[in-house]
Amino acid sequence: MTRTALAVLAAATVFLYLPLVVLAVFSFNDSALMAFPLSGFTLKWYAELAANASFHSGFVTSFLVAQPVGLLTMVIGLMAALALTAPGLRWRLAFGVMVLVPFLVPKSVLSIAQAMLLSRVFLDRGALALILAQTLVAVPFATVLVSAVLVRLDHRLIEAARDLGATPWQSFRLVLLPQLKGALAGAFSVGVILSLADLTIAMFLAGRTQPLSLIVASEFRRELRPDLNAMQVAVLALTVLIVVASESYRRLRARRRRRGLAVPAASRPVEALP
Amino acid sequence: MSLALGRRHLAIPVALFVGLGALAPLCVLVVFSVFTVDDFDLVPDLSGRAWAELVTSGTYRHLIGKALLSGAATAVITAIIGYPVALALARLPTAWKGVAVVVLLTPLYTGEIVRIYAWRLVLGAEGLVNAVLEGLGLVDEPLKVLLFTPFTTGLVLTYNNLPFMVLSIWVSAEMVDRRLIEAARDLGARPIEAFFKVVLPLTTPGLAAGIFAVFALAAGEMLTPSLLGGTAGATAMAMIDSLFGTAYDWPMASALALGLLAALFGCASLAAFLILRLKGARAVLGRAR
Repeated sequence: MTRTALAVLAAATVFLYLPLVVLAVFSFNDSALMAFPLSGFTLKWYAELAANASFHSGFVTSFLVAQPVGLLTMVIGLMAALALTAPGLRWRLAFGVMVLVPFLVPKSVLSIAQAMLLSRVFLDRGALALILAQTLVAVPFATVLVSAVLVRLDHRLIEAARDLGATPWQSFRLVLLPQLKGALAGAFSVGVILSLADLTIAMFLAGRTQPLSLIVASEFRRELRPDLNAMQVAVLALTVLIVVASESYRRLRARRRRRGLAVPAASRPVEALP
Repeated sequence: MSLALGRRHLAIPVALFVGLGALAPLCVLVVFSVFTVDDFDLVPDLSGRAWAELVTSGTYRHLIGKALLSGAATAVITAIIGYPVALALARLPTAWKGVAVVVLLTPLYTGEIVRIYAWRLVLGAEGLVNAVLEGLGLVDEPLKVLLFTPFTTGLVLTYNNLPFMVLSIWVSAEMVDRRLIEAARDLGARPIEAFFKVVLPLTTPGLAAGIFAVFALAAGEMLTPSLLGGTAGATAMAMIDSLFGTAYDWPMASALALGLLAALFGCASLAAFLILRLKGARAVLGRAR
């Protein structure tokens, strides 16, 4: 690490976190006006937040929408990546471009077009439409994540497993899947994150479902308010907590595995392939 | 493959999902763009009215041009800022890379509207920047140019899209074989020469992917310009939204959306074509094949 590299990273971190820090500072500031100079420390905005029922229901809704989006994104992203990197796929380029379409088309154009389509078919705007549309936008990210790992894997491992008599399903489950765990966790989080952060799709497709982003947007348009700051800080703290917890869990497991591999490595494949 | 159904057949359900979710709605746009609105009801009477208006109206052409310009400018700025950041990240010790990903992506966890709102606190008349400038005695009264101007839009679009650009270049930079750089140095290249002759060419695919992605993301953004751009914040997207929602002119909304898409993809393909002609991109993509 050179000193320049460190300075670059420090500057980038400051740029990325400056607005969030200011947001957090004002959530503890004892004044309804959000202006410098600061006027003292308070927790009353958090107390107001805790008493606000519409935020609660919005938070629960967002959470309930984000989980299926994460799961679907992971599964469809895995399927797309497996197909994209499969030997003998015809129309590979066309398929790759097709998967990227939801990413390349501006979200608002796509959502408006989807809303127009929904006006003519049996599916209504609402939670299901929202989940599917958010998944669609997250799938390109997941596909890229998983494919990036797939192309780097040693395909001789798969061939070896097949030569030793594993069925395609066994070779997938016992050889490929364990190596994809990290990428799949990443795909899941991308789905959850994009769903939580989304406002554009929800604006057009949520129907009567009210995720947090819609509630916040209608409040923000009117005025700046410290209890909204408090809420953003709470949500942010929660997400960071989840991310840090899952990351440290992953590291712990990786360390254990490394330690475990040093002992009797020879017995492991036997129990792995029944 | 012993089974008739192979891994490649997973492409079929995925294609169906994307087809129904993205391609079908886009086809609906094409169909609706030639329909007519009659008393707040969309009727299938074919008419080229919307397309004629799109071609003749200066407003629509201006808005599409503005979207392309904003996308291109954001892509170039994020590339210039993001490139050194991505290279620095690639040099981090492995143990720190996981942390760096979290640090880089956390700002994206906040919703679009939150980021917009947070920047108002930073750039407003009583915001952080003006408070600091006044405290240092550099300005007598708050700078007005910081908020609700094209400058604000540019800054926040850069902020929103920087992580995507950094990630994209970073992936490419990680794949550069360090021995190539060492070889260049051993053969007498100065660090700056090694950068321009080895690192930069080998990271062009990541750079291209980043520019492509950020271009599409920034050009289609609606909320940031309309909430932070002030009077100059009118965008093609906001126009489509109001044609769709308020004016109930779905044919015009469809035609404008398709026009914007055509312009976007025209520019994106041109950029991709130019970048794929570069030597470095060919070397990397050739190796991957």
